[in-house]
Amino acid sequence: MNFAYLSILVFSPLLGIIALLFVPKAKESVIKTVGFLATLPALVLSLMAYFQYRSGSSLERLDEMVNWIQFGNPNRLGELFSIKYELGVDGFSLIMLVLTAILSTLAAIASMYIKKEWKGYFMLFLLLEVGMLGVFAAENLILFFIFFEITLIPTFFLIGKWGYFEKEKAAFSFLIYNGLGSAVLLIVIMVLFARTGTSNIEALTSILAADSSSLVLSEGGKMGLLIAMLIAFGVKLPIFPLHSWMVRVHVQASPSVVMLHAGILLKIGAYGIIRFGMGIFPEQFQDLAVLIAVLGVVNLLYGAFLALVQTDFKMVLAYSSISHMGIVLIGLGALNEAGIQGAIFQVVSHGLIAALLFFLVGVFYERLQTSNIPNLGGLAKGMPITAGFLLAGAMASLGMPGMSGFVSEFMAFLGLFREMPVLAAVGALGIILTAVYLLRAVLGITYGKAHREFAGITDLRKAEWVPALVLLGIIVLIGVYPSVLTEPLTSTLETIMLGIGG
Amino acid sequence: MENAWIIPLFPLLSFLFLIFFGKRLKEASAYIGILLSLASFVYSLLVLFERFTSPTHKAESVWLTIGDVQLTAGFEVNQLNALMLVIVSLVSFLVHTYSKGYMHGDERFHVYYAYLGLFTFAMLGLVLSPNLLQTYIFWELVGLGSFLLIGFYFYKEEAKKAAKKAFIMTRIGDVGLLIGMILLFWQVGSFEYDEIFAAVEAGAVSSTMITLTAILIFIGAVGKSGQFPLHTWLPDAMEGPTPVSALIHAATMVAAGVYLVASLFPLFTASETALMTVAIIGAFTAIFAASIGLVQKDIKRVLAYSTVSQLGYMMLALGSAGYVAGVFHLMTHAFFKALLFLAAGSVIHAVHTQDIEKMGGLWKKLRVTGPLFLIGTLAISGVPLFSGFFSKDEILIAAWAHGNTVLFWLAVIAAFFTAFYMFRLFFMVFSGESRSDMKHVKESPSVMTVPMMVLAILAVVAGYVNTPWFGTFLGDWLTEGNPALGHGHIEGPSWIMIVATVVSLLGIFLAWLIYSKRSLSRDWLGASTLYTILYNKYYIDELYELTVLKVTKGLSLILRFIETFIVEGIVKGVSGAVSGLGHLGSRFQSGQIQRYGAVAFVGLAILIVVFAVTGGYLK
Repeated sequence: MNFAYLSILVFSPLLGIIALLFVPKAKESVIKTVGFLATLPALVLSLMAYFQYRSGSSLERLDEMVNWIQFGNPNRLGELFSIKYELGVDGFSLIMLVLTAILSTLAAIASMYIKKEWKGYFMLFLLLEVGMLGVFAAENLILFFIFFEITLIPTFFLIGKWGYFEKEKAAFSFLIYNGLGSAVLLIVIMVLFARTGTSNIEALTSILAADSSSLVLSEGGKMGLLIAMLIAFGVKLPIFPLHSWMVRVHVQASPSVVMLHAGILLKIGAYGIIRFGMGIFPEQFQDLAVLIAVLGVVNLLYGAFLALVQTDFKMVLAYSSISHMGIVLIGLGALNEAGIQGAIFQVVSHGLIAALLFFLVGVFYERLQTSNIPNLGGLAKGMPITAGFLLAGAMASLGMPGMSGFVSEFMAFLGLFREMPVLAAVGALGIILTAVYLLRAVLGITYGKAHREFAGITDLRKAEWVPALVLLGIIVLIGVYPSVLTEPLTSTLETIMLGIGG
Repeated sequence: MENAWIIPLFPLLSFLFLIFFGKRLKEASAYIGILLSLASFVYSLLVLFERFTSPTHKAESVWLTIGDVQLTAGFEVNQLNALMLVIVSLVSFLVHTYSKGYMHGDERFHVYYAYLGLFTFAMLGLVLSPNLLQTYIFWELVGLGSFLLIGFYFYKEEAKKAAKKAFIMTRIGDVGLLIGMILLFWQVGSFEYDEIFAAVEAGAVSSTMITLTAILIFIGAVGKSGQFPLHTWLPDAMEGPTPVSALIHAATMVAAGVYLVASLFPLFTASETALMTVAIIGAFTAIFAASIGLVQKDIKRVLAYSTVSQLGYMMLALGSAGYVAGVFHLMTHAFFKALLFLAAGSVIHAVHTQDIEKMGGLWKKLRVTGPLFLIGTLAISGVPLFSGFFSKDEILIAAWAHGNTVLFWLAVIAAFFTAFYMFRLFFMVFSGESRSDMKHVKESPSVMTVPMMVLAILAVVAGYVNTPWFGTFLGDWLTEGNPALGHGHIEGPSWIMIVATVVSLLGIFLAWLIYSKRSLSRDWLGASTLYTILYNKYYIDELYELTVLKVTKGLSLILRFIETFIVEGIVKGVSGAVSGLGHLGSRFQSGQIQRYGAVAFVGLAILIVVFAVTGGYLK
């Protein structure tokens, strides 16, 4: 395509930050408009890239490479350690870019609920978007890591400043866990870099694939690095028992931040495991497949059982996220085409569904100042449209066919049943439990007797229709016509399958 | 027939249109729903007629690609599908029409019609599915429609509970179906019915696997068709509007389980164990539910248990290799049970109560509904010349011919029960004097009575498509060109028909003695233990409450304990370690220049030593 397409895409939200510098602090509506508009260039560019790819143009034309940092002693080793600025996308990361751009725009709309210090909020918000876009566009582990860190800092402040009552505690546990995860990840990246002299993902993959006689890294070393990587990304995903920070964040952060957090940030964990874990260490990953599948089932059931006894709807959704990330692991543990495709589908699908549900949490929290299920009830009377969207979101989440959740769940289980039928059958219990806890929560909110008067409570406003309708629309689109995802994913899947020799 | 895929799209259109624009149309929404469901019905009739002369039509295209595997979606019109299309679209059309009167004045009128459209779409999609995956997709969607309509009166606590229960109980079954279907897929490499049957016939699937998958799939059918032990949701589902009970919980969706087993008939016949399971569950459910129906006091609950029981009959038929008998009874039952529910709705519409203890003497007041209800009652009781007589007879013969003697006698007793409780219901509602002050009892408008009349005619004549006297057209047509489905007609001893007749007349007579003539005490069971057990439905709900629910809840609490103490403990450990390290580090920041200098010196010394040893370069 043209020069620096991806760079422009990734850094376009910076324009908004610069523009915001010139807007007075108190001009709420101007700030919100600028913040919203600043998310649009990335959205347009990523959608354009997606449609061009669908119509057959190659993604390699988007690759960018600039020499960046070089160091080392040229006399002693004869070569330099060089870190390049490399951006590029494959089908999977392109989809993640589109997802990020869409959710960022919608979360910017949902940021209308932010009550104070809009300027600081939107500057951090846009910086976060740069980080997320960069994570998916980086072709180089070190660059990936830098963008990964860029997401951490704004998120920390966004949680800690604009959240609910225990926001500071949540922000700190977010920082500690993710900081530790980052540290582990940094070690992995540095070891790989030192051993191979490159941090380019493709180069690393081919070097390690050719390294059958363990010259570069010993077998144990590879396994160690993979496990370290799984822990680093497992914090993010989160994998049981590394999840408690994430529950706090889900409950304490403001809905627009959680939309991005549950929708994108958690997915970086899955992205990392698939792209780096499975991509760079395919053989070792195979050895761990059973463990990963077991962890997946544990996540699925553990999250579901805990979601069953929560009274705060946000807690239900938080544990439901843990449960649904179990399906990603289940798919990956299956290590066949159906499973991996299911896992990737689940990443996208859960991103959309979680964003929809948390947006709706914001909608009724704004009006009723509570998300505690026993205090709610009969909401369908006062807010029939919101209630309808909530039910639709719950249906998507529990895997109703015709929506994206079904396709991903189905493929993940299809994959696992081939490899480990007994484990899969145990996991299938999760399908029932998901229905139980979601219906319990959603019907508790919208059905039954109303506990309070709904006089003066308005149903969905115009601006609120946009995120709800767009998200539901995409969820249904993927559910009815999954080719929108399968086709871009074909080449990525082929590469992965080639790696694991399947 | 090439365009049969259009049939489900009419109600889908109705759903989408009404959900978006229905609010403005108010009760005019009904016309859209009625017209579009009529379009489906007309089209289905055309397809059925075409199917008489032309062969099965199937068309598919790729839906989902997984590596080299391509999963397809499409539609198929074979005999069973074509017949089901007509049954579903007809009953749906009649219920659409009837609802215009029944739901009159409801403020969510358009939502009701939208949901009806969604359900009809899903049900028609289900019967057109050419493969298991697509069947599963629509299978879940009909469940969604049913859930929405049961919970239509969302502000009622009971409706909320019933909707939730229906969804979850059927989902338990659905997981069985899902597992069975996936296991079968990895054996056969396809979800297509044809290929599954071909693989089974060729012996490509081990017999253990056939039995396992067939039984798992049957669990799905058990959930959907309200068979024991997953039956408890169906009577509770009566919380929905009555026309919905007629459409979903009598005529169409609950019969989907039977339809599923019928669709996969060659798979089931390949395993004697699986067939036997189906037959035993069916026969047991038939008598079990019928016995509960003997003592219930809610008009719709009696009908609900009767539905459960009749579905059990159909399962018994299929489990006894009586493909034709099962499908035949499915059809006649759809007509007479829909009739009974609509008539019950008409009664409820008139007297505003569902308690039969409070009714009575309505024969004189409801001059149209009364006779129509009677026709339905006669048909379900198996009185000769009505449709239920022929189809039930066919089932009994199938059970006998297959050698299931015990099950056969169970079915005969259940038939006796059926005749008894149905006429108990009839006499309690229509004969004698009113047992509470019923003023303003008015017959329903013709928009409600005409659909009932259509069903009443069908409840009488539908049996004649397959009789031992005039020919077994239905059976011959259904099994034509497909020997795997068995014979079009199974010969049985003629005394079976006589026994069935005697039993049903005996049941009616006994009910008449007790509830109309009052020669016997109405409290014939009194306050006996048996009565209490039956009235409380064998305490199945309570049993589940005590076991499944308690266990789940207990597990959740245990895990919450783990979460609070162990996982959070790790959190404390981690944050403790971090802050501990911080404290340790802060001790070095004492502000004493001498200490900083000492540390720097030691560090430098170590570096120099290392460089000296390694020759100046770290490798």
